[in-house]
Amino acid sequence: MTSVLIVDDHPAFRASARRLLERDGFRVVGEADDGASGIELARKLDPDLILLDVVLPDTTGFDVAEELRSERSEVVLVSSRTSADLGPRLDVTSALGFIPKEELTSEAVRALLDTGG
Amino acid sequence: MRVGILAGGLALGIVAYRTQVDNVLVETNARALAQVVSGWAFLVAGLVAWSRRPSNRMGPLMVACCFALLARQLRYAHDEATFTTFFVFGEIGYALVAQTVLAYPSGIVRDRLEVLFVRVSYTVVIAFPVAILLFYDGTRPLRNFYAGPRKDYLGVFNGGQVALTLQDVYAVTAYGVLASIFIVLIVRKLARAAPRSRRIMAPLILAAVLAAMRAVFDSVLTFSSRPPAIVADNLFWWQIAALTALPIALLIGLLRARLAQGSVGDLVVRLERAPANEIRDELAEALGDPTLDVALWLPDRREFVDEKGRPVALPEDGPERAVTKLEHEGEPLAALVHDPGLREEPEVLAGATAAARLALENARLQAELLAQLAKVKESRSRLVAAADEERRRIERNLHDGLQQRLVAIALDARSAQRRLGRDADPEVARVLDGLADETQIAVRELRELAHGIHPAILTEGGLAAALASLASRAPVPVRLHTINERFAAEIEAAAYFVAAEALTNVAKHAQANGATLSARHENSTLMVEVGDDGVGGASPDRGSGLRGLIDRVEAHGGRVRIESEPGEGTRVIGEIPCGS
Repeated sequence: MTSVLIVDDHPAFRASARRLLERDGFRVVGEADDGASGIELARKLDPDLILLDVVLPDTTGFDVAEELRSERSEVVLVSSRTSADLGPRLDVTSALGFIPKEELTSEAVRALLDTGG
Repeated sequence: MRVGILAGGLALGIVAYRTQVDNVLVETNARALAQVVSGWAFLVAGLVAWSRRPSNRMGPLMVACCFALLARQLRYAHDEATFTTFFVFGEIGYALVAQTVLAYPSGIVRDRLEVLFVRVSYTVVIAFPVAILLFYDGTRPLRNFYAGPRKDYLGVFNGGQVALTLQDVYAVTAYGVLASIFIVLIVRKLARAAPRSRRIMAPLILAAVLAAMRAVFDSVLTFSSRPPAIVADNLFWWQIAALTALPIALLIGLLRARLAQGSVGDLVVRLERAPANEIRDELAEALGDPTLDVALWLPDRREFVDEKGRPVALPEDGPERAVTKLEHEGEPLAALVHDPGLREEPEVLAGATAAARLALENARLQAELLAQLAKVKESRSRLVAAADEERRRIERNLHDGLQQRLVAIALDARSAQRRLGRDADPEVARVLDGLADETQIAVRELRELAHGIHPAILTEGGLAAALASLASRAPVPVRLHTINERFAAEIEAAAYFVAAEALTNVAKHAQANGATLSARHENSTLMVEVGDDGVGGASPDRGSGLRGLIDRVEAHGGRVRIESEPGEGTRVIGEIPCGS
């Protein structure tokens, strides 16, 4: 079962994403509401997947992904902004891919994992 | 009265001449005449100065010098009363000359040290002759009194040698110590004079030379029993020449200041034609003070400003800079910050300020207008910045609030769909399907709305990313040249909106095959430029979009240039000051 860490500062999104993923067989092992605690939890829990918001209160998802580049966990970026809003950093990020939040589904996540894996 | 003074001075000269010729053995007629002429030089120069500048005390002082110097010669008389009186008071002439020089050009000795020096000088030149006569027994001639001894009324002690010794001590004190201090005071006065005053300080140099020669001359006479004739002669004539030239030099100095006042007349004419920003230059020229500054009083703001309406702090009125405040109907009008030397010429200053009054009043109105304009510009800039900030806040609130809730609803609808599975009531499944889809659409529409309010990419990625995003979304190919530099949020927003509006116009009106978009940082200005190869003919008057962005850029002190000849494409160039 794929273990997941959700890093997002919006509790409503974290709760909905947890329900959605757990319903489809993922195991959500932790939640963090900013970049610093996300990095700390990622290192501690060593999840298979980190669902990482791009816009965080203390940093950006790009920077967190860069920080976790050497970890085993795969990173999938999510945002309620579009890829156009996020600019060219999306093209060079070490993350596995990007999913607009409203389009988040287990299939979309699995597709990215399969591509990356 | 002046005619009487002139007649009195001339008569005293004749008496002084006769006294010398009759009572001084070594004095030739020419020498006696020269002494009188040097006294008359003070008389004539003093009277001219007095009539040309009645409020200045230099004229009366110079006239007094004449009488004192001429009267000094009466001490050589053999008559007891005349000898006693003029031996005691005769030396006052030299103290008076020193006072006149130190009082130049205002006629008043103000400096504390100089006042002390003048007081000590008067004391010395009276106290010593009194002391000498107290010990003089009239049996031997006094030094420099070659035509034999005189009788006086003051002889109390029987000490002829003491009197001669006192004469030596007096020579050392008056012509050695005091003359040296006098020279030092003149050098100090010259060194401390502001540039404008220094121009008319030449007479002081002459006075210093005179004092030096007088000191050497008297030393030679006092301490050399038989000075070589050529030395004594040369020293005498040079000394007389300097003493005669001194009042003339003082008069010329005073009249030069007066001549400057003459140029004040032209000032009225010149100021009539001068724009407000040249009033200072005209006044500086008329007053001969290149350091002059003009500050204008703004009654509404209760502060002084320069001609552009910028606040200025007036310096303290003191020895370094002088401040003359002008009033109009009891209200401050302006202030002139000038060379303290001008204080000595109040007529010149008054003439110039009277001539400049109207021009200063106009300049003040203009400065007031410019100050108000600057305030309007500042407030316009603040308004745009505040509006931008408000847009950023609304966009952020939409993103963090409503958008997140809609996203959560969309995800929950999808979760519910999965949970119900295939056995679900088809109607419920349809409703959930619709809910998920509609919520997704609502999220997208909300995002578009938020983007229109403020492009999130500007906040998240900066200007370079925002321009790249604009270029990528444009319907025609856009060649992009930009810089990876961050600027203040309102500057980036202004540049972004110039590019966005210009690219929208390219898409809507230009019929272009391609466009260019560039941003560069040049001379403290952020330049953003959009060019296309379309039909041209764009004008800000044709739509509110370009006009709006011109307003936005101008609010930041920048400008937008539009080059759009028909058939030659369009270039929109935004220049936004970015402060560094």
